[in-house]
Amino acid sequence: MSEATFQVPVGPQHPALKEAPENFMFSIDGETVVDVKARIGYNHRGIEKAAESRSYIQNIYLVERVCGICSIAHVATYTPAVEEALNLEIPPRAKYIRTIIYELNRIASHYLWLGLAGHEIGFDTLFMYLWRDREIALNILEQITGNRVTYAAFTIGGVRRDISSEMAEKAKNGLSILEERMKYYKKLCLNEPTVLKRAVGVGILKPQDAITLCAVGPLLRASGVKSDVRADDPYLVYDEVPFYVVTYGGCDVASRVLVRCDETLVSIGIIKHALDRLPESPIRVKAPRIVPPAEVVSRTEAPRGELIYYLRSNGTDKPDRLKIRTPTLANIPSVCKSLIGGYLADIPIVLAAADPCFTCTDRMAFVNVSNGKRWVWTHEQLRRYSMKWHQQN
Amino acid sequence: MADTAQKPTGETVEIEENLKEKLGSKILELKVPRNRRIFVSVEKTAFREAAEYLTKNLEFKHISTITGRDAVGQTEVIYHLNRGGVELSLKVQVPSEEATLPTVTDLIPGAILYEREVHDLLGVEFKDHPDLSPLILPDDWPKGVYPLKKEWTTEKIRQKLAGPEEK
Repeated sequence: MSEATFQVPVGPQHPALKEAPENFMFSIDGETVVDVKARIGYNHRGIEKAAESRSYIQNIYLVERVCGICSIAHVATYTPAVEEALNLEIPPRAKYIRTIIYELNRIASHYLWLGLAGHEIGFDTLFMYLWRDREIALNILEQITGNRVTYAAFTIGGVRRDISSEMAEKAKNGLSILEERMKYYKKLCLNEPTVLKRAVGVGILKPQDAITLCAVGPLLRASGVKSDVRADDPYLVYDEVPFYVVTYGGCDVASRVLVRCDETLVSIGIIKHALDRLPESPIRVKAPRIVPPAEVVSRTEAPRGELIYYLRSNGTDKPDRLKIRTPTLANIPSVCKSLIGGYLADIPIVLAAADPCFTCTDRMAFVNVSNGKRWVWTHEQLRRYSMKWHQQN
Repeated sequence: MADTAQKPTGETVEIEENLKEKLGSKILELKVPRNRRIFVSVEKTAFREAAEYLTKNLEFKHISTITGRDAVGQTEVIYHLNRGGVELSLKVQVPSEEATLPTVTDLIPGAILYEREVHDLLGVEFKDHPDLSPLILPDDWPKGVYPLKKEWTTEKIRQKLAGPEEK
């Protein structure tokens, strides 16, 4: 650390999202970030360890609680792992229903994120509108699964609830509104000066860095890299439904916004297609409770990127090892990279642009590189500083 | 899953053959349970060579994660590498008493946090890793307590953290 830098610790209150603590140590030179070190673990709940002492059925509900926003992604990655170990094929209707619920969850997650991005740049009207519209997605999910957050819709061998034709019609009406609204928000993001000023050219992550640092999900795709588990390693019915992988080449926050806007539209298309083609079959098959010794790697494209589970069974009703790697952990090195060279005032939006979810994985401290002075800011203080700085400059 | 569409084809088979040809006798076990999934175990001595071959020659540029597993006396470290849609798990076992492995961060910089995670939870030392400071565990975590080891049951960890007077 040179004499000219200043260290700023930010956290453990999250700089962008209130639910989750982590700590970033920023070294700043004037207004410019020169180095970032992340420290996570403030919320480590030992879920992998807990999974080893629970049965496969109990673990469905445990992994669903890894993340509150993308709970379906976890169950949808865990259940196929167990099914593969059991050599169990789930009925086609169950596959379609799983795909529909997964994509609805992605829509709810992307709407939530876009709203938060609005909040981070001081555009709270956008936040209110998006969160209002997000209710439509949550209502559809509630109608199908009975729940708004942790859906408890999947089980080993299929799904627990069927989608009736009335539900499908109602869902399609809701999706049409979501589609129209998202097209409007995309237009807004492309034209609104507040958004453009805070997002274009901010938080640059070059494609080469994104690949080397193993970034995943919308963060990687906003750096122009075409990578999506749904397309590369299809699961459920992604090899049957038409969709495309959204990429933008801007490598900045603006591209990350646009990737998520377009992905929401793609998801709406997938759901509509799947709702029209729900095959007739049972929705679940009975699965044995004892899982023979096997090892399985299960991957899906969660709203935040590649989610991977490694399961090792040992012939009992409890797993020997269940490894979970959430997309946020994978994106930390890339996010740190994209913060370097940027302004202190842009930290909240750049961190938020990766859509970090630290409940899945896990505050901020600052150090001035010129006099070694340290202070701690909460996210709210940093957000206020950020907005004030941008008004003055 | 059991359907025929999951039979290994094209790229997966090609990688499997390349592995057999290049690493041959150094492979302890090679499994291809379905399309786009490969599991390959190697001796500790051949690990670095295998990692270099996979990342440089076979262009596995992405690391999904690293799994550490306590395998009674042995610690198994599994590197989940990815190329396109093919997920290759490179497995290596090290004695738990002397759990050391060379780092792969020079080959795949994205592995930096995953190695720290395995170091935290299972005590595997990654030689030449730039920074093995705690990532997940608190700074004042007792030395020698590795939560993912089977001997450290949740109850035992709680007792240890509560301090000697409450034992």
